[in-house]
Amino acid sequence: MWKRTVNGEVLHFYLAGINNQNFLMRDRETGSWWQQITGKAIYGPLQGATLEPVLSDELTYGEWKNEFPSGLVLAPVPKYTKEYDSNWESDVAKLPVVISFPGTDVKSRDVVIGLTMNGAARAYPWETFARQSPVLDRVNGVPLLLVLGPDRKSFRVFVSRIDGRDAEFFLQAGSPGWALFDSTTASAWNFQGCAVSGPAQGKCLEPVYALKDYWFDWRNYHPDTTIYKR
Amino acid sequence: MRSSLPSLPQDSARADRAGSTMRWIWGAFCLFVLLAVAQFVVPAYVIQPFRRQTPTALNLAMAIRQRAPVGTALACFLCLLCAFLLWRSASWWRKILIVLPLLLALLATVMVRVNYFEWMFHPIDGAQFLAQSDSKLASGEMVMAVRFTADARAYPISQMAYHHVLNDMVGGIPVAVTY
Repeated sequence: MWKRTVNGEVLHFYLAGINNQNFLMRDRETGSWWQQITGKAIYGPLQGATLEPVLSDELTYGEWKNEFPSGLVLAPVPKYTKEYDSNWESDVAKLPVVISFPGTDVKSRDVVIGLTMNGAARAYPWETFARQSPVLDRVNGVPLLLVLGPDRKSFRVFVSRIDGRDAEFFLQAGSPGWALFDSTTASAWNFQGCAVSGPAQGKCLEPVYALKDYWFDWRNYHPDTTIYKR
Repeated sequence: MRSSLPSLPQDSARADRAGSTMRWIWGAFCLFVLLAVAQFVVPAYVIQPFRRQTPTALNLAMAIRQRAPVGTALACFLCLLCAFLLWRSASWWRKILIVLPLLLALLATVMVRVNYFEWMFHPIDGAQFLAQSDSKLASGEMVMAVRFTADARAYPISQMAYHHVLNDMVGGIPVAVTY
């Protein structure tokens, strides 16, 4: 997701092509070509410009409703409802892969969580992450917390620091539902990264943008990516 | 072509020159048809899903696609010019050989001005948003969510995986929702 304002001008984008797993878009204002996944203009008058990313979440509708009870949801367009595929995830997984990167344990259509921290890219294989959540890691010197949501389908990534100091988190074993605690203050944290009880109550962790992607696609756009291993 | 026996050496030479000029015009006609068609076919071939694109090929495809609306119009005009010059002296089967490639050139000129990707993946015209009480979306469905100030919006991935891109305004900020 991207902000549409470039150099003070609001652009309107439209689909202009499919580039491997991602798509190309053009803006009506200048006709420049943009890569959907990087937000970079790769051709045309605005070539070299990059769109400002918008911090967005990928989570279940149910989880989102809990967090934003008054939020609005995009209505399906009646004449295209038969094109909407609720099983898109399993259907896309069957599509052919045009590029591959052998040499690692990760297979092309394995789902990974991809993130970059000050230029350093890392991929977290979903299976590994889901098993180990919460995952504490360090990328480019920044401590990170990756956590699977109560619905076990949503995920979020945060900078693992409270008041500027590194913090460690753990899920309380045996407690019903979902209970995330930090080892420094023993405060309870919710899936939005905010402390709901304890000494840190009211404080929120800084969210980190992360993308759920297929390994081959993440690796294609981040050739220097490292892979999380435990 | 009407056959007539040249009665003088000059007539023979003139007929040869006329024949050779015609050949040049046929050659030019073929060239302009190819140029028109190529401006559609090359980008369409390079920019397709499930085909690996090298940066060079992609750059070429975009460069052609950008100039194609004018380029094909120009090539088409030159095709028509050649067709006009060739028409009178062409036999009925040669006339077919003129018309068919000309139609291809015209088709290419039209196709470079349409966005066939939007035929496959229709854009959303005038996006509507529902309150949660009005939505029939299942709780387990994945959404992309964004919030600016008090404006929180969710975009179901099953819908965005089809439309691919949506220009929206959230909390006063213009955003492009992409999947």
